[in-house]
Amino acid sequence: MRPGMIAAVLGKEVRDLFANRLLLGAVVFPALVFAAIPTGIVAFIEVNELDPDQLGQIQQYISQFPDLSPKLAAQGFIVLNFMAYFLLIPAMVPMAIATQSVIGEKTARSLEPQLATPLEVSELLIGKALSAAAPAILATWAVYLLYGVMNGAIADPVLTRLIFNDVWTVAMLTLVPLICLLSVLLGIIVSSRVTDARTAQQIGGFVVLPVIGIAVAGFFSGQASFSMQQVLIGDLVVALLVGISLAVGNWIFDREAILTRLT
Amino acid sequence: MIESIGLTKHFKALTAVHDLSFSVGDGEIFGLLGPNGAGKTTSVRMLAGLIGPSEGTARINGLELGRDSQRIRAITGVLTETPGLHDKLTARQNLGYYGRLYGLRGANLRRAVDRYLDVVGLPDAGDRRVAGFSKGMRQKVAIARALLHEPDVVYLDEPTSALDPSAAKMVRDFVATLRDAGRSIVVCTHNLDEAERLCDRIGIMRGTLLLVDTPARLRRQGRSASVRVDLVGARRPGSFLDMLAELPFVEAVRAAEGSLLVEVRDPRGDNPELVAALVNAGARIVSVTEEVATLEQVYLDLIGEAGTRDARTVEAA
Repeated sequence: MRPGMIAAVLGKEVRDLFANRLLLGAVVFPALVFAAIPTGIVAFIEVNELDPDQLGQIQQYISQFPDLSPKLAAQGFIVLNFMAYFLLIPAMVPMAIATQSVIGEKTARSLEPQLATPLEVSELLIGKALSAAAPAILATWAVYLLYGVMNGAIADPVLTRLIFNDVWTVAMLTLVPLICLLSVLLGIIVSSRVTDARTAQQIGGFVVLPVIGIAVAGFFSGQASFSMQQVLIGDLVVALLVGISLAVGNWIFDREAILTRLT
Repeated sequence: MIESIGLTKHFKALTAVHDLSFSVGDGEIFGLLGPNGAGKTTSVRMLAGLIGPSEGTARINGLELGRDSQRIRAITGVLTETPGLHDKLTARQNLGYYGRLYGLRGANLRRAVDRYLDVVGLPDAGDRRVAGFSKGMRQKVAIARALLHEPDVVYLDEPTSALDPSAAKMVRDFVATLRDAGRSIVVCTHNLDEAERLCDRIGIMRGTLLLVDTPARLRRQGRSASVRVDLVGARRPGSFLDMLAELPFVEAVRAAEGSLLVEVRDPRGDNPELVAALVNAGARIVSVTEEVATLEQVYLDLIGEAGTRDARTVEAA
């Protein structure tokens, strides 16, 4: 594995991504939407007093923050509860980039010239995976930071501290990159079996369903946030799935299969 | 130097290439001629170290296929059947990317990119995205890409397809300079005229090599030479037919308007005897011309025979 080769592939892919404004929009837009919704709710609560009836309905949620005023507790619950959706960014965005990248190469028949160079298939795959994962990871981190700072500024600095808690810091540093990697690998595997990006993304959508399920379950469970134990178990499960996907990807993407089936 | 030794490739039940053996010397252009599905691309992919053979092996500049495939790819330039460019990148970025994959860096890379953009006649189009290029311009970028790293061995699949006649000539001339620089070159083509003009030797292929020789010898392959004798005077050409048919070296003869068409085995040895016999019989000869078969005739005969043989084999099976 030669870093220079991976860097060359990465550089080319990043150039490709920046030249594709639509795809670049697909990286940035969902991340902003996922952050904007809860921030909007926090702002709404900030400018509108909660009436006692409403407070009664959300008592079980705000009781998770006994040290905070009911209004701030409601805002705290909202900002933390919506954060599970941040896991959707690494699940969806890299898949879109990876499928576009592989199917684009299939359509342009540009895999063969690359494989005719001393480039190894593993170097090509890692370069592609990094180029699809990196924008999603950076977008998630950037929006996470923005989310923490914005909500602190709109309501109270307590919200910033709630958002930048240990559990989510660990999740951002471990779970987000792992989900990105899994999403990329699944995108590549799916792309090898279909001929157009839309179909690949539709099939890929089913693949990210478990992540969406976790986010939605978190939202409706009444639990404000994941526990550290849940994040670490999540890390373990996703790492295992990454390992399996890597093996399958390597098997599917051997040089001969690419040349005889994918081009 | 390319040495192919019994290369064979099976794809499940299908044998794409069978027992392919030939060699290409330094400074030689070898043409692979054959119809679609003849195994040309599979052969090149094996020789270029892209896919492994099922049987047999090859040595490229002493490097063994399989064991040294990565090193083989480093000294090899491949022009693929379709240009396969990255549309969102400029021509310069496309070449820069491939230059880096071939290990070029910094000033060397920039020099190589500039040089080859110039060689293929695109010095002013380097900073334009290739998505807007014509087919011919794309082909030129792909040719530059294959040569950027000064490979010792070059495989060119239909190098002049999509090029206008002047660009095609430029490419042919450039390929000839590569030969002069000592590179081993394999050209896959359907274009018989191009093969004849460009190649030192030609292999006609259909699953395996049916025939390998120089273009001149291929045209003669297994055929009698046809000699055309133009006559003037009162005697009609048909009046010499019986006399000529008696000559031992004449294989066939027929008369045409003002001329005789005579098939002989060895024109160099037989033509003087033929002329003498005709003069003795009272013929007044204007000219004697050897009519050589075209490469196309030879190719079609061979491919037709192989096709018929394949059909018979399938029928028997």
